[in-house]
Amino acid sequence: MKPNVFLDPRCLGAALLSLVILSLGCGAVSNPALQRARDDYDRARQDRELVRRAGVALDRARLTLDQAERVWTTENDVVETEHLAYIAEKRIEIARAIARRRMAADDIQQLNSRQ
Amino acid sequence: MRAIANSNRDLTQRQRKSLRVWIIPFLLSLFAFENIGCSSAKPPTGILSQAELDVRAASEARADELAPMDLQSAREKLEASKQAMAAKKYDDARRLAETAQVEAELAAAKAEAEITRRAADDLRRRLDPFRSENERATGLPSSPVSTKE
Repeated sequence: MKPNVFLDPRCLGAALLSLVILSLGCGAVSNPALQRARDDYDRARQDRELVRRAGVALDRARLTLDQAERVWTTENDVVETEHLAYIAEKRIEIARAIARRRMAADDIQQLNSRQ
Repeated sequence: MRAIANSNRDLTQRQRKSLRVWIIPFLLSLFAFENIGCSSAKPPTGILSQAELDVRAASEARADELAPMDLQSAREKLEASKQAMAAKKYDDARRLAETAQVEAELAAAKAEAEITRRAADDLRRRLDPFRSENERATGLPSSPVSTKE
């Protein structure tokens, strides 16, 4: 009778080991830098003035945040995830600065219309 | 019967040997595939050039004066990126160039916001006498202009 190699314990062990190696990066372990960036983004998103005046800049931050989350869940690459989380945080700061500039520009327009 | 059993045993041992011969290259290739990203980085020349332009643009937007910390940090990252590039550490060079780029953008955005805010404040100060006169005439204060950041 031809032996079934798939029932061989050593073969099964090797297959299981390969699965464990592959799935090591797939756990739902959180990354503090990514969590901080996500919290920062959620706070920014709740600010109506910020969304109204710098929505596109905020969307760019979200795209970077999405990319960081993808890298973290699929590759578990800590260095790249933290780098992208940092970039996302800076993009949120850029959105805040753009909102401030537009608010000041609106003030100028409003003041000029009163002259 | 015994001869058949012996030939079966030989066959099983041969299969196990061939399995062992295949498992090691399989695991090695699996490891290589998982780490392929670490060795396939290309020189990030485009990102580095863009970062240089962004740092210059921030400087032209008066970030030296109005957002010095952010611009200084961007310049440091740009230099570090060039050094990493020279050392052929392309992943590090790319990350540093991207960081320099976003910090330079932030410096420029902060500088522009500050310039506009100062212009609004100047205009408000110049219009103050008119506003006071208006308030006296109507008996009502004019509607406040938002200065919230």
